[in-house]
Amino acid sequence: MNTTPSIDDLLEGLIFALSDEILPYLTNEKSQATAVMMQSVIQEIRQMLPVFDICIAEEHNQMTKVLRDVASLVGSINGDAATRISERGATLGAVADVPVPEKKDVAGAHRALGFALQETLRDLDELQRKGFTIADDALDAVRSYLYPSFVRYANTVSVEGGMVGRG
Amino acid sequence: MERAISELLREALGNNCDIAIEGLAPIPGGFSRETFSCTALVTQGDAKEVLPLIIRKDPPEEVCILQTSRANEHELIESLRAHTSVPVSRSYGYELDPDVFGSAAMVLQRADGNGKTSQLFNDGADVDQAEEVMRHLCEVLVELHQADIAVIDPRGILQDPRGVGIRTSSWDDYMDSTFQYYLSTYDQIVYDPSSIILLDAYLTLRRRKPRPLRLSVVHGDFNPANFLYKNGKVSALIDWENSRIGDPREDLGWMTTMDILSNTHVMDYPKKEGGFISYYNKLTGWDVTKEEVDYFTLFGSANIGVPVQSAIYRRIAGEHRQFMHLYLIQSSAPAIPSMAQLLGYPGSNSSETTGASS
Repeated sequence: MNTTPSIDDLLEGLIFALSDEILPYLTNEKSQATAVMMQSVIQEIRQMLPVFDICIAEEHNQMTKVLRDVASLVGSINGDAATRISERGATLGAVADVPVPEKKDVAGAHRALGFALQETLRDLDELQRKGFTIADDALDAVRSYLYPSFVRYANTVSVEGGMVGRG
Repeated sequence: MERAISELLREALGNNCDIAIEGLAPIPGGFSRETFSCTALVTQGDAKEVLPLIIRKDPPEEVCILQTSRANEHELIESLRAHTSVPVSRSYGYELDPDVFGSAAMVLQRADGNGKTSQLFNDGADVDQAEEVMRHLCEVLVELHQADIAVIDPRGILQDPRGVGIRTSSWDDYMDSTFQYYLSTYDQIVYDPSSIILLDAYLTLRRRKPRPLRLSVVHGDFNPANFLYKNGKVSALIDWENSRIGDPREDLGWMTTMDILSNTHVMDYPKKEGGFISYYNKLTGWDVTKEEVDYFTLFGSANIGVPVQSAIYRRIAGEHRQFMHLYLIQSSAPAIPSMAQLLGYPGSNSSETTGASS
């Protein structure tokens, strides 16, 4: 999977494109307003993406605790409302915590490893040209990793319909 | 820009004519130039003529995908018009002074015909013309590839148009110097390690050169978007800016790649002749094999890959912020597994069909 440009780079590119390549050519105010709204929503997505998984995991775990705490507080009360609260505490409140993702620079580490494989290819080429046939097998080992990752990348990012703007 | 167009046309047509430019507007004309369309109304004495025009203008240098010369493109087009029957639009002239058009530019006749070639395929409106158009397209390509280099390019402007050290004294010299160019530029264009497929292609192709073939004038961007058609014929082969001296199989390989990326089927036609390569071989007698086309599919991708990657690199480095360069990353993604298959990657199930593996 590509790490550069990042998802944030692509979203920022959309905001720039709306400013530089779309808005100057829009002639009615309704369209202009829609384009600016689009920029605003794209910026919202940029702000949400880095924290979204962390936030919903933390909030998931906090909400189960709240349901349990509330059930515990009103548990001694008789009546339908208190019963329903108790039931929620015992069911949804008992759902196990989900793991909260750590803020690690996995993309940076991924990039460094990718470049390491790249340099390995150069070294293998040198060995192959010197006649070391075992280097052919070593190259296949690198390619065996690369092929499924290329296919997954292409399947993930491709959109059907051919290249826009060409014939 | 209207005034600049008029003056350039007056130089080409004669100073005693009156010229009015109408309908000047930008059009989507490929990814490498800023393209405009307009009409010139030319009056010379009692004679009146309407000239449909295309203006191809260089984008700013940092945005530019191919650093090519409008002067060379003009010279080649006029040479092809003079010495071959390859259908090309007349080039009225060029202007390299950026003060005139805002950047270097050229003015061409706007060819008659449909440029939406996707309509020839996939149940498009003109699918009934596909057989004859592709037959003619193949014949046009063969004429280009069989043309005498010394006649088409007497000044040698196509030998190394990028100025990157390509030598064309022999086929081997051409291939070796081209690999040198690919490999020496790789480190300056790799914005993400996933570009490793290009490096693998460069190194593998260098280890596995196919049989030599005579060098030719190649179009250099022979793809489904670079021709127009009308009444079952190719009315113009367009966009000659990447033309150069090279191996003729490069054009076949690049069309194969772009057929996949464009969701078109040029290489399947003419079906009555067994497909494009089969008909090409019938006309040339060069017996180009599938393995050779596979090899040059990779080679051609590498050739275009260098300037395209370089332009994307400049976008990511923040030298400009044009959106198209980000879109190119997505739109070229389907080519990556295809390249891996051609290189015979384990698991891709086509290692036995390519001449380029390991």
